Amino acid sequence: MDAFLSGQLLFSALVIGSVYALIGLGLNLVYGTMRLLNIAHGDLMMLGAYTSFWLLSLVGLSPILSLLIAALGASAIGAAAYFGLFRRQIEISGPVEKLEANSLLLFFGLSVVVQNLAALAFTASPRAVPYLDQVFRVGEISMTANRLLTLGVALALCAATVIFLRANIYGLAIKALIQNRDAAKIVGVKVERVQLLSFMLGFGLAGLAGVLLSMTEQISPFMGFPFTIAAFVVIITGGLGNLTGGIIAGFLLGFIEIYGVVLTSQNARSIILYGVFVAILLLRPQGLLGGRRVVR
Amino acid sequence: MTAAPTTTAPGVTGTWRFPVATLAAGLFAIAVPQVVGSYYVSVALTLCMWIALTQSWTILSGMAGYISLGHVVFYGLGGYVSVVTWQLLPLWVAIPLAGLAAGLFAAIIGAPVLRVRGPYFVILTFGIAELVKYIVINVEATIAQAGRLMFGTPPVTILFYVMLGLAVGATLLAWSVRRSRLGAGLIAIREDEPAAETIGVPVVRYKTYAYILSAVIPGMVGAVMGLRLTYVEVLQLFNPIISFTIVTMAIIGGSDDARGPVLGAGFLLVLSELLWSSLPQLYMVALGTLLVCFVLFAPNGIVGLLARRGGGRR
Repeated sequence: MDAFLSGQLLFSALVIGSVYALIGLGLNLVYGTMRLLNIAHGDLMMLGAYTSFWLLSLVGLSPILSLLIAALGASAIGAAAYFGLFRRQIEISGPVEKLEANSLLLFFGLSVVVQNLAALAFTASPRAVPYLDQVFRVGEISMTANRLLTLGVALALCAATVIFLRANIYGLAIKALIQNRDAAKIVGVKVERVQLLSFMLGFGLAGLAGVLLSMTEQISPFMGFPFTIAAFVVIITGGLGNLTGGIIAGFLLGFIEIYGVVLTSQNARSIILYGVFVAILLLRPQGLLGGRRVVR
Repeated sequence: MTAAPTTTAPGVTGTWRFPVATLAAGLFAIAVPQVVGSYYVSVALTLCMWIALTQSWTILSGMAGYISLGHVVFYGLGGYVSVVTWQLLPLWVAIPLAGLAAGLFAAIIGAPVLRVRGPYFVILTFGIAELVKYIVINVEATIAQAGRLMFGTPPVTILFYVMLGLAVGATLLAWSVRRSRLGAGLIAIREDEPAAETIGVPVVRYKTYAYILSAVIPGMVGAVMGLRLTYVEVLQLFNPIISFTIVTMAIIGGSDDARGPVLGAGFLLVLSELLWSSLPQLYMVALGTLLVCFVLFAPNGIVGLLARRGGGRR
């Protein structure tokens, strides 16, 4: 029981929770503003992770600098996906259900394409270049610099996004779109531009999360899907468009996963993740739509 | 959406053309092992497998519009049943048992799962398939078998005949459900579920029936394919690529017509024969691209394109 209460576990849960919060935030932005279910979200992370991996192993560029490059790259992909695939879909689609189902299939096709292109380009074998993995101790807790960095950067990015959404005019426009699309249009929000911004912001956050992950975890072309599922758990638990709720839910999932593994075994990790996912959808069959449409 | 199946009045004589043609094609195919070598028998087996899986999938996902992205769960459960009972039970018991297990699983999870609608249902089915996969992997690990070796499995010709029967059976099942009261109810659910409920369609019961019907044959298909393996790994049996291929085949062929899955399966089989063995990843890229293109430009699949070219003739 001592191990259960240790700061060590608390630290691990915070680190993984902060990553979950970050990817949930990105997914929430794209879903909230456009009702697009980005099942390729985890694959954007994968691309971010490979960006950082190659820049570090070939050029020796620190992942801290890769953060910027991966964010720009992922945002560019977001812009391309918006103009290439989704702008027209959003315009022509009638009922929301149709758009949601179509977007899911489109993103699913996209996800398969991205994963396998990555596997063709980088081979399917997992890789890792640990960065800043010297262990040091703070009191009782031994930690590595990369995990501390992950936690710090993820928290800072979450905070920055929340502040952006409250203080910046474009951030407020995103929130307006999440709250009520038609009303936002009427009061003069430039819907197209805001949608593009949400796409770039959401994808960019996923790319950033991938860079953070590459410092501590093994990466492979097929690493993304569990993170997509985690992001869905986060936004379903936190509530549609409820960005702060999503951040809290991210940490909650981190705690469930870490403590669940401690109580059972390492093999149970996937069972816990998918089990929580299935349970949450069964308990909230209305999905996000039934949630309170409050934007905080 | 194309016309509802209840409007079959014009050309009643033509309505039996499809099942007769299906049976005739099935009878012809019996000769396949006599005519071609064993490699092509295994290709024909694969074609029958995809037809059986995709036809079954359309019963729920085509007609009722509840798109399942986790149909491999039934395939995997069926395969696991046949692998575990191999050399304990004869083939003629094990394969129906596998179908029964898959149907039972669908019946148990059906009621809660089918309350979830739209895209949440889609990702939920995927999540369930992954969850079951990891549970079965852990079960296998506890009984200390990382992989099973299969000895003395039936020859490919026998398995081909079983699979041919399943493909014909699934095609006829999908066709007859579409023409039945159940099928009309399912299509009403797809078009507007609350409205269907209001006019008295037993929504919950019909969805559950469709779910069970779409699960039984994939369970048996999995059982046959389990016996094709010499070395069994659970990961192979529950490979999500199978679910993905089913969806892609149905959408490329068109899931609104019993001919669609046959066309989609045939089309993708040619593609996979060309690419899968040499460049599996390129094959998956092509699959994903095709899915995106068909969703964007031809949501009713090849059947829809043909109908459009023929001036809406069905």
